[in-house]
Amino acid sequence: MVKCVVWDVDYTLLDGVFLEADGEPPGADPAMVAVLAELSGRGILHAIASRNPPEVAEYVARVTGAVFVAAECGWDAKSDAIARIADTLGIGTDAIAFVDDDPYERAEVSFARPEVMVLAPEEMTSAPGWPEFSPAVVTAEAARRSQLYLDRQRRQAAGREFGGSREEFLRWCQTEITIGPAALADADRLAELSARTHQFNSAARALPAAGFAELIGVGEVAGPRAAVGPARAGEDADPRPVVGPGEPTGAGEVGSPRPAVAPAGPAEDADPRRAGVPGEPTGAGEVGSPRPAAGSAGAGEAASALAAAGFTPLVAAGDSARVLAVRLRDRFGDDGLVGTCVTEAGHDGWTVTLLAMSCRAMGRGVIDALLAWLIKAAARSGVRELAIPAVLTPRNVPLRLALAAAGFRASEAEPAGGSAGEAGQRRAVFRRAVDADEAAGPADAAGASGAGGEATAGEVPNADGADDSD
Amino acid sequence: MTEQRQGEAGETAPGLAGPGPSGPGPSGSERSGPFRSNSGLTGLELAGELRELLAELAGRPELRTADLDLPLFGAGIGLDSLTGTLLLREVHRRYGVDVAAEDLNLDALASLASLASFIETRRR
Repeated sequence: MVKCVVWDVDYTLLDGVFLEADGEPPGADPAMVAVLAELSGRGILHAIASRNPPEVAEYVARVTGAVFVAAECGWDAKSDAIARIADTLGIGTDAIAFVDDDPYERAEVSFARPEVMVLAPEEMTSAPGWPEFSPAVVTAEAARRSQLYLDRQRRQAAGREFGGSREEFLRWCQTEITIGPAALADADRLAELSARTHQFNSAARALPAAGFAELIGVGEVAGPRAAVGPARAGEDADPRPVVGPGEPTGAGEVGSPRPAVAPAGPAEDADPRRAGVPGEPTGAGEVGSPRPAAGSAGAGEAASALAAAGFTPLVAAGDSARVLAVRLRDRFGDDGLVGTCVTEAGHDGWTVTLLAMSCRAMGRGVIDALLAWLIKAAARSGVRELAIPAVLTPRNVPLRLALAAAGFRASEAEPAGGSAGEAGQRRAVFRRAVDADEAAGPADAAGASGAGGEATAGEVPNADGADDSD
Repeated sequence: MTEQRQGEAGETAPGLAGPGPSGPGPSGSERSGPFRSNSGLTGLELAGELRELLAELAGRPELRTADLDLPLFGAGIGLDSLTGTLLLREVHRRYGVDVAAEDLNLDALASLASLASFIETRRR
């Protein structure tokens, strides 16, 4: 699957040579303009590799109306330019297509980077019909991916200029992290997150949209919900008044704006009156009421649907499985749904069967806020322990760091009957005791709030050069 | 008695916050006995080096004088997963020790002193 197209400029995107000896530079090739727009709409990024001076990027963006997330202008090998672009975007070079009218440039890239798909401009007109350029599902986040990359670049630039700590920077950015129940409409995006994220992914395998839909469906029939108006932490010091009695905060009509959680004080929305299962802090169910039978029936179906979809959950889904959606936005832009967490209430505690977060959200306090939120939600539900089974990969070290910071301790786990684990996979269960008094007070009490430095604010490391593509 | 205690307490000696980071302070060589590695770097010097590295990666110059025994996670230094990832990657690159692969719970990251000690042990 192609994630980014790297374009030459002269006689590729433009109908001529940018630096004409006389007069105005040429206009855009209308056929390529159409291709640019079509692919952008599918979540495929565009970048420029040109022999022209850097100002060409702005000109090409203007005449084509397209967003280019990276531009390499210079005289070194285009294969090197492609490698730098891949590095900047955090994707592998095997996810790049390169378009150039010059056969020499195409040959150079083909030779140096055989994994790159190399095309002539005339071939690109039919490319939108090829499977490499046709993702099965295009989520709202994917369609806006170019814009999200631009937002990130502006945020990073501001972070480098910013004089304070990372926490201060995030505050200045007006970072809003919103944690609430996932809706059925989120299923595609959740599946995309589970497949495309690696650094903050506990399962190291994808769960299909159908699986998420089933899990969410169970939650949706499990109990009534109270409609809650928009409420944001920071603006509304006590979100409880807008919540019906017995309904936890954060509760909401699916799809409605949910209380935001600021990085410095996540879970400001905590309501300590709750007791129950993971779904409850997010809005489902009556206080202390047993789960409706429909929930159990749905859960069984969910488990079978999951199995049919080829996904063996780390822990089998029960009637108390709940799916959380984590959304992120700030003054630079709206990142949309960046993280998810599937929780399951057991006898003594909650098990988090999946934790996944986009790398775009890294360094912005999201994972810490989510863990703090979980701990607090567990505490106010009277839960004594949180357990997060995880596959250990070289890539998800960031997840382990976040878990360690939040006070989780791991023990190596044997693959259960060999069914859930693939051969050679290292697995562990991260556990954390939950104290009743963690239901109240700032989330800092969870030890999950860390202060970083401004130099790294918003930067995303790519531990192996070809990392998360979300 | 005092010498013995100093040796044992080398990793956890208080008051290490003051002197410059990697400069071999006058007391550094005295305390270095049990911690001298085959690279010639003492445990304290290594911890100081790591402190410089952390301050740089985190973009927080004030960490250059942080206590080597201050907890890295939580209220101490507040190491976030982003900076932590960069730190572990740089440790792997510089010292050839893959902490994440060898230390399931990342206990090595309890403090800069413990990280230095972990690296020392693995490099021998």
